[in-house]
Amino acid sequence: MPQYSLYQEESQPSPWQRTWEEFRASHIAFTGLIILTLFFFIALFAPIVAPYDPLQQNIDVLLVPPSWESNGTITHLFGTDALGRDVFSRIMVGCRVTFGSSILLVLIAMLVGVTVGTIAGMTSGVRSSVINHTLDALMAIPTLLIAIIIVAILGTGLVNSMWAITLALIPQFIHHTRAFVRSEMKKEYILASRLDGATSKQLFFHSILPNMIEMLVVQGSLALSIAVIDISALGFLNLGAQPPLPELGVILADGLDVAYIAPWNVALPGLTIFLMVLAINIVGDGLRSALRKRLSH
Amino acid sequence: MNKGFHWVLGFFLLFTLQACDKSERDAFYRSGIIYCSESNPVNFNPQTDTSSTTADATAHQLYDRLMDFDAETGHIIPSIASSWNVSQDGLVYTFQLEKGVAFHSTDYFTPTRTLNADDVIFSINRWRDPENPYHNISGGRYPYFESLGLADNIAEVNRINSYRLEIIIKQRDSSFLANLASDFSIILSAEYADYLLSQGTPERIDDYPIGTGPFKFQSYRKDHYIRFEKHHEYWKDAEFTSEHLIYDITPKSSIRLAKLITGECDAIAFPAQTELEIIRNREELALSEKPGLNIGFWAFNTKKYPFNNPKVRKALALAIDKNTLLEAVYFESATRAKTLLPNASWAFQSDADDTAYNPVLARELLDEAGVEPGFTMSIWAMPVERAYNPNATKMAELIQRYLSAVGIQANIVTYDWTTFRRHLREGRHDSVLIGWSADNGDPDNFYRPLLSCGAIPSGTNRAMWCNERYDALIDEALKTQNSQRRKAIYEQVNRLIYDELPLVPIAHAYRYQAYRKDLKGMVINPYGGIRFVGVTKTQ
Amino acid sequence: MIKILIRYAILFVTTLLVLAALSFSLAYLFPGDVLVNLSGITPHNAAQRAALMRQYQLDEPYIFQFIHYVGELLRGNWGYSFVSGLSLREEIGIAMPATIELSAYALLTAILVGVPLGCFAGLRSYSKSDYIINSASMVSYSFPVFWLALVFILIFSLEMGVAPLSGRVSLLFDVPDKTGFILLDIILAKNIDSALALGDALKHLILPTISIALISTASMIRLTRRSVIDVLNSPYIAAAESRGLSKSQIFFRHILRNALLPILPLMAIQITTLITNAMIVETLFSWPGIGNWLIQAIYQRDYPALRVGMLAVATVVVSFTILIDLFNRFIDPSREKYERATV
Repeated sequence: MPQYSLYQEESQPSPWQRTWEEFRASHIAFTGLIILTLFFFIALFAPIVAPYDPLQQNIDVLLVPPSWESNGTITHLFGTDALGRDVFSRIMVGCRVTFGSSILLVLIAMLVGVTVGTIAGMTSGVRSSVINHTLDALMAIPTLLIAIIIVAILGTGLVNSMWAITLALIPQFIHHTRAFVRSEMKKEYILASRLDGATSKQLFFHSILPNMIEMLVVQGSLALSIAVIDISALGFLNLGAQPPLPELGVILADGLDVAYIAPWNVALPGLTIFLMVLAINIVGDGLRSALRKRLSH
Repeated sequence: MNKGFHWVLGFFLLFTLQACDKSERDAFYRSGIIYCSESNPVNFNPQTDTSSTTADATAHQLYDRLMDFDAETGHIIPSIASSWNVSQDGLVYTFQLEKGVAFHSTDYFTPTRTLNADDVIFSINRWRDPENPYHNISGGRYPYFESLGLADNIAEVNRINSYRLEIIIKQRDSSFLANLASDFSIILSAEYADYLLSQGTPERIDDYPIGTGPFKFQSYRKDHYIRFEKHHEYWKDAEFTSEHLIYDITPKSSIRLAKLITGECDAIAFPAQTELEIIRNREELALSEKPGLNIGFWAFNTKKYPFNNPKVRKALALAIDKNTLLEAVYFESATRAKTLLPNASWAFQSDADDTAYNPVLARELLDEAGVEPGFTMSIWAMPVERAYNPNATKMAELIQRYLSAVGIQANIVTYDWTTFRRHLREGRHDSVLIGWSADNGDPDNFYRPLLSCGAIPSGTNRAMWCNERYDALIDEALKTQNSQRRKAIYEQVNRLIYDELPLVPIAHAYRYQAYRKDLKGMVINPYGGIRFVGVTKTQ
Repeated sequence: MIKILIRYAILFVTTLLVLAALSFSLAYLFPGDVLVNLSGITPHNAAQRAALMRQYQLDEPYIFQFIHYVGELLRGNWGYSFVSGLSLREEIGIAMPATIELSAYALLTAILVGVPLGCFAGLRSYSKSDYIINSASMVSYSFPVFWLALVFILIFSLEMGVAPLSGRVSLLFDVPDKTGFILLDIILAKNIDSALALGDALKHLILPTISIALISTASMIRLTRRSVIDVLNSPYIAAAESRGLSKSQIFFRHILRNALLPILPLMAIQITTLITNAMIVETLFSWPGIGNWLIQAIYQRDYPALRVGMLAVATVVVSFTILIDLFNRFIDPSREKYERATV
């Protein structure tokens, strides 16, 4: 409800701005966002920023320790691996592969999930039927299992593991969209638009979608943290990305062979995955509590 | 089921444990040896398989041979055959057998007699005679004997009396005794075979083995463990042999080392070259090393275009820098290979030709052969660590980079070990990184299985290469008793291999054995598989 | 009541049928011979092949093949591993309990630690201790489980030597597989020193259980905390306070029950995460469970094993999920079916 004041230019922040204000008030969440942005930039510009080609083997510098150790050198910030590849460059490009593919697959899952969920939510025929229940139950099948099956049918590879995880994430989006659309359809403003003669399409794009974006961002952040963990887990198990592609899980699995003499080859990629997931979770959590606070005000 | 109850009970017991007699507990943990092996054996009969995994798990644990190799000198020493005789013309071998050699008595079979000539004849006939009822059991392939052409060379195996037999061969074979002393020439029980045949379950012979060795088979669970117990009636002196022997199947070498450190394994198979320093630096671990009789190589599938062209093979060999591979993969624990033979062999040729790194020439040769830049090929990297190639995937990645420099795109292919070898035998590869560990010190044991025509169906000739002149030369060498003359023939063979390059020899690696110091009696045997007879755990 | 039961029974059967259909279609989708994928037996000659074709009714329309397939599954004929030739039912029968056992201990730990901590944090929401618990749970929730397990191995096994890193019990103990649950098997086993073996088995349990439990505990804490805060904000708590009830009375009578009720269905979702984590951790600790088994099967391209293994794991997970959902319906009929967790 817009209010006008004749005497003062009092600004009335939009819901988005208010969420942002709440979000920014939390230092942790804000730090998380900064780290996440950093990851985002690394993902975008890794090939330009990385000091070395992540695949370039250099036989003269095998297993050089990271620069902070006494016998490390500054030319290889995070040291080198068993083939003399620069770990720092590999991790940067690894962020790009892992984070980039995760974002991509979450977007695909979201697109498919929202489409199917909206159709299911706006039409009333299929509601609460056994089919819906069955789909819900099938949702419980672990990603790892889906990935194993896809690998068995299509073979290993980053793209195949992305399909597997997308497939596992779609039901969540369907579920939430369906629930959201259904509860929204019962609200009065929708009824009002309907009485105005809005078509289903207009209803969705002008009324429901704008309200759904917050839910999608929150769900998307949850899905993203799952996607990062799953992509790297599959890479680690040699079911996803294949060496020499520098995916973080693959780098970690590679490092396992030299875990004793070169522990940084295991520690650093693992730490990177952990930080990435932590940043996503913190931002997601911050978003949710910001939303909650805004709604309770 | 009440899990909470278990926990409470368990913790209760854990505390009472501290109180219970510590020496009793230690005695229990000393009662058996745990060996962390690298992979599943194909079955429990090394006659049917050349992989050292199968041989390590069976040859010296479950079985005995007519003769053995002395681990120190490499000389052939008596085992089940207490003595033997070779006729003047070198064609008739007579063996006198030990008496009172007991077979294993297990819950699936109780022997009624000790070993006699029938068992030896059955064991040889199983791989030699296609008419033998057991010949086709477990696939009917005997790759070791087939690749050496041993079966074809034996004319007769005759029983003279219960403890005496003769073997008549068709052509002189200077490596005949050595072959009968190898890990693969084990002695089975004829009585057990007859019993299984009468039960209608002959296929059990290789899964539920009966032998005369120092240990008998208890149970096996794929990917997990093999359990053996001491054979108390073992005919040789085995006072210091452990009561139990367990193989803990652990494919990852880093995990094997971890388990060695925590004491979950007492000895491990194939420590990774990168980890040797760690083993040397730890007080409780021991590492022994010996130059190995082995070769790691890169073989091309010469049945496939364009690898059927020697020029292409030459180009690929020139495209890689072997010294780099040696440094990065073997960490100085290997010597550069020029020919198939390691320098520990008496027939080693020190001035043999070798390919030198030359990518420019490589590209020229490829152009001449009509292989366009952008050509794609596969490099198969074996999934297990072997002394001759401790990290094939890493080597493949290095080669991948070298090949991309000459405009060839390489894909690295790997499967689990059993599948890998099955697909290799079917010849699905373009090239493969693999190798060979000799079963005895004879040079023929390198040349024949690796590149002769007869070794293609048995699956040891990974290059699928068949050359008449080569076969003629190595046959001639085998018939030559004079070692200088024989060596001269092998030099011609080396020249032929260098010209044709069906495979690129890469390295001869040292053999390592890592174990905990409280294990007494461990000996590295350069001529074949690991042995646990006479090994015990002490304080 | 009966109506709900029937609805769930129908749901359960349909889900299983869908899973069976998926598993059946895998035999066609996987590379290689359908007959081999289905039976695990490689026929040596044409006659044997024809006999097998007849046995599996592969010459009939798909629908009959499928009906036959379901029948065979129910009869316990699950086919044979194509690599080892062992009966898949026996193999899964040994591997599955190991996974369930590990997951159960981890879940138990997560509940025993997570619920009290979550309540504590929720009751003191936005205090310093809440802040610490909440941050700690956020951190441990973000660990990739495979890395966490590696770090544990590095610290506790290799550096400190307090816990072994592989298997369920030292292989020196020859424990026969009777039930598949190691602690039970040890108690049932003869010829071994049970006390010694149990102690050994518990030591082996520590690291894998903690690796999985840490992540599940974190989500447990967050779920409980959120739920307690929601209850605290509801009017009936204010009403109870105004009636002068003591803090502990309010907590035990109102908060605890009302807070835990909505957590239960959310646990159903946790089961999936839990079992996935258990399956990954198994490969690192060489735990002889179904995850380890399936991953070996995929490395070996053992299609018959994958086909049945997938069905077995999915069935177990789905059954647990549906059971929890049903249980939830019974204790709280007002609830809409199925809720999703937001951790």
